[in-house]
Amino acid sequence: MNDEAARVTRDNAQGSEESGADPNRARRWLRTVRQGWNQVVGIPDYERYLAHHAAHHPGEPVLSRRQFFERAIDHKYCRSGPRCC
Amino acid sequence: MSKLGSTFLWIGVAVVGAFSFAALALGRGENVSAVWLVTAALCVYFIAYRFYSKYIAERVLQLDDTRPTPAVRHNDGMDYVPTNKWVLYGHHFAAIAGAGPLVGPVLAAQMGYLPGTLWILAGVVVAGAVQDFIVLFASVRRDGKSLGEMIKMELGALPGSLALVGVLAIMIIILAVLSLIVVKALTGSPRGLFTIAATIPIALAMGVYMRILRPGRVGEASVFGVVLLLASIIFGRDVAASATLAPLFTLTGTQLAWALIVYGAVAASLPVWLMLAPRDYLSTFLKIGTVCALAIGIYIVAPPLAMPQTTRFIDGSGPVFSGSLFPFLFITIACGAVSGFHSLISSGTTPKMVERESHMRFIGFGGMLAESFVAIMALSAACVLDPGIYFAMNAPAAVIGTTPANAAQVISSWGFTITPEMIGQTAVDIGENSILSRAGGAPTLAVGMAQILAKALGGKSMEAFWYHFAILFEALFILTAVDAGTRVGRFMIQDMLGHVYRPLGNTEFLPANVFATVLCVGAWGYFLYQGVVDPLGGINTLWQLFGVGNQMLAGIALLLCTAMLVKMKRERYIWVTVVPTVWLLITTLTAGVQKIFHSDPAIGFIALARKFSAAAAQGTVLAPAKSIAEMQRVAFNNYLDAVVCTVFVLLVLAMCWYTIAICRRALRQAAPTAHEIPPLTPQGAPA
Repeated sequence: MNDEAARVTRDNAQGSEESGADPNRARRWLRTVRQGWNQVVGIPDYERYLAHHAAHHPGEPVLSRRQFFERAIDHKYCRSGPRCC
Repeated sequence: MSKLGSTFLWIGVAVVGAFSFAALALGRGENVSAVWLVTAALCVYFIAYRFYSKYIAERVLQLDDTRPTPAVRHNDGMDYVPTNKWVLYGHHFAAIAGAGPLVGPVLAAQMGYLPGTLWILAGVVVAGAVQDFIVLFASVRRDGKSLGEMIKMELGALPGSLALVGVLAIMIIILAVLSLIVVKALTGSPRGLFTIAATIPIALAMGVYMRILRPGRVGEASVFGVVLLLASIIFGRDVAASATLAPLFTLTGTQLAWALIVYGAVAASLPVWLMLAPRDYLSTFLKIGTVCALAIGIYIVAPPLAMPQTTRFIDGSGPVFSGSLFPFLFITIACGAVSGFHSLISSGTTPKMVERESHMRFIGFGGMLAESFVAIMALSAACVLDPGIYFAMNAPAAVIGTTPANAAQVISSWGFTITPEMIGQTAVDIGENSILSRAGGAPTLAVGMAQILAKALGGKSMEAFWYHFAILFEALFILTAVDAGTRVGRFMIQDMLGHVYRPLGNTEFLPANVFATVLCVGAWGYFLYQGVVDPLGGINTLWQLFGVGNQMLAGIALLLCTAMLVKMKRERYIWVTVVPTVWLLITTLTAGVQKIFHSDPAIGFIALARKFSAAAAQGTVLAPAKSIAEMQRVAFNNYLDAVVCTVFVLLVLAMCWYTIAICRRALRQAAPTAHEIPPLTPQGAPA
C-alpha cells in the first residue's frame, strides 16, 4: 500500500469516530463537496478508488493519482455514447 | 409526514398549479407574468413525479433494491461506481441538457407561448420522462448495455444495425445544426467571437494544469477557468471597440463555417485531456449555474409575457419555421418534451453508476423533468421579449431584409408594432452591431436572459455583459458537443467501415482515424455550409430535419421499451409506453412525409427543389438566389434533405414492424423472455 492509500485508510478510520468539535469535520465536509462536484462532471474520486482497492485487492499494484485521472478521462470520452443536443 | 398532511400538501400543489394555468389561459395582454408559466410547470412536475413516476416504478417496472446494479456488481472504483443519487442526478442532468431545450422552445415561440408550454408539459410527463426512466431501467437490468446493444438483444441483429445507422445520421444533422447556431450568433460580432475564441487557450491551460501540474484538481482549474472567462467577456468590449483588433474578429458566415469545420477536425484529433475535458467541466458548471440564476431571476423580476398566447402563425405561415402547429410544433420542440438522444445517455455512463434500482425513478424521470424546466425557462425568456424584437431576430433576411427600417416595416405589417429605433437600440444595449436575422434560438434567448438578469443584477449597463455571458454559455457547450460528437461519429463510422474493409475499423491505426474524422467532419460540415449559404435561412430546414430524426429515435427507444415490457410479461402495463410511441409515430411520420412531399415549397423539400430546378432550366433566377449555379445548388440540397428524411421515415417503419413481430411472438410465450440479468438467489449467487 502506498502512502496515499495509507493516509486514506487512516482518514477513514478517523472519520468513523464521531466527535463534536472535530477539526477534521470541516475537512471531511470539504472532501464530500469536492467528491460530489467532481462526480457531477464525470470525474471519479481517487480516494474512493484507493479505499476500494485497499478493501478488495490488497497487495496488488495501485494506480498513482496521475495514472488514475489519465485513465478516467480517456475512458469517459472514448467509450461513452454520443452526448445530447 | 402524516398521511393527512401529505394529502393537504398535494391538494395545495394541485390548486397552485390550476391557478397558474388559469392565469396563463385566461389572462389577456401584458398582465400575465412569466412567474405563472414557471409555477404552472413546477406544479405539473411535482405532481407527475409524485404520482405517475411512483406508479411506473412500483407497478410497471417493479424496481427491486435487492437486485445488485451494475455499479455494485462490477464496482471498480472508476467506471462502475455506486454513486450518491443526488450527485448522479446532477451528472445525468448535465449530460442530457444541451442546447436542444434552449433552441426548440425559442423557435416555437413564434406560435405564442401557450402551444409550446402545453406540449412541453404534456410531452415530458407522458413521453420524455417515461422514455428516459425506462431506458435507464432496461440498461441497468442489462449490465449497462447501450441502446444499440439492447435493440440487438431484444429485437434482433438487423434492427440493431438499422438503429445505429439512424443514430449516426441524426448525429451528423445535430452537429451541423448546432454549429449553424454558433455561426448565426457570431457572424459580424467581434466581441462574441473574441470571447468564444478565448475559451480555447483557457481550456488548454486548464488541461495542462489538471494533467501535468496538479493531476485531477478539477475544482481549482475550473475556478480560475471561470474567472478568465468572465475577464474575456469584459475585455471583449475593448476588442470590439479597437480599430486594429475588431476587424480580426469580424468574420462573415462562410468564414465562420470554415473556421468551425477546421476547428472540429483539429479538436477531435487532440488528446481528450487537453481541450475537450476541461471545456466540458467549464460548460457543466456554467450550465448548472446559469440555469439556477435564470430561475431565480424570473422569480425576482417577474417579467410580463409580451408574446401573445397564440399568434396567427399557428396556421403555418410563420417566418421562423414553416408548417402548421400540427405536426410541426411537436417536431420543433424536441428536447424539453421528449428527446431520443437521451436514450443514448440513459444507456451510457449513468446506468453504470446507479447505486440502487429505486434511485432510477429520481435520476431518470426526475432528471428529464429538470431538462423540461430548462425548456420552459427558455420559452419564457423568448416570450418576455417584445414580439417585434423576437421576429426581427428570428425571421430570415429573405423575408425582412437587411436594414432595421425594412425589418420594422415588414414586422409591423404582421401586427407586431416595432420601430427601426427600437431595433437599433436593442442592438446597442447588448453591445452588438445588428440583431437582425440571428436565427437559431441562442441569440434570442441571450437577449431575453440579458434583460431578465440585468433587471435582477446590474441594471441596463450590464445588459451587454449578460448577453455575451449567455452567448458564451451556449457556445461553450455547443463547441464541446461538436468536439465530442465528432469523436463519437468517428468511432461509429470506423465501426461500420471495419465491416467493409477491416483496417479502416482499427482505431489504433492513424490513417484510418484521420479518414473517419474527415468523413465525419465532411458530412456535418457539408450540411453546415449548406445552411450558412442557404438564402432561406438554414435553421429553417436543418432544425426540422433534426427534430424529425430525434423524435424518431425517441420512438425507436419507446418501441424497445414496449417490446421489453411485453417480453417481461407485463403486457397489461404497456399503455405506458404505447401511448407516447403512437403519438410520436403519428407526429413524426406526418411531419416527415409533409417535409418530403408537401406541395408548398416553403414546407416540402421536393416541391422546393422542383421549383428551383424548373426555373433554372428556363434560365430565370428566383430570389433570394443570385445565379443559376446557386439555383441548382438549392435544388440539389433539397433533394438531399428529402433523401435523409426518407431514410428516417423508412427506418422507423422498419423498427415498428420488427417490434410488432417480436411482441406477437412474446405474447404467445407463457414465461418471460426478456434478456435481463437474473436476480440473486437467497444464497447470494446469480440464479
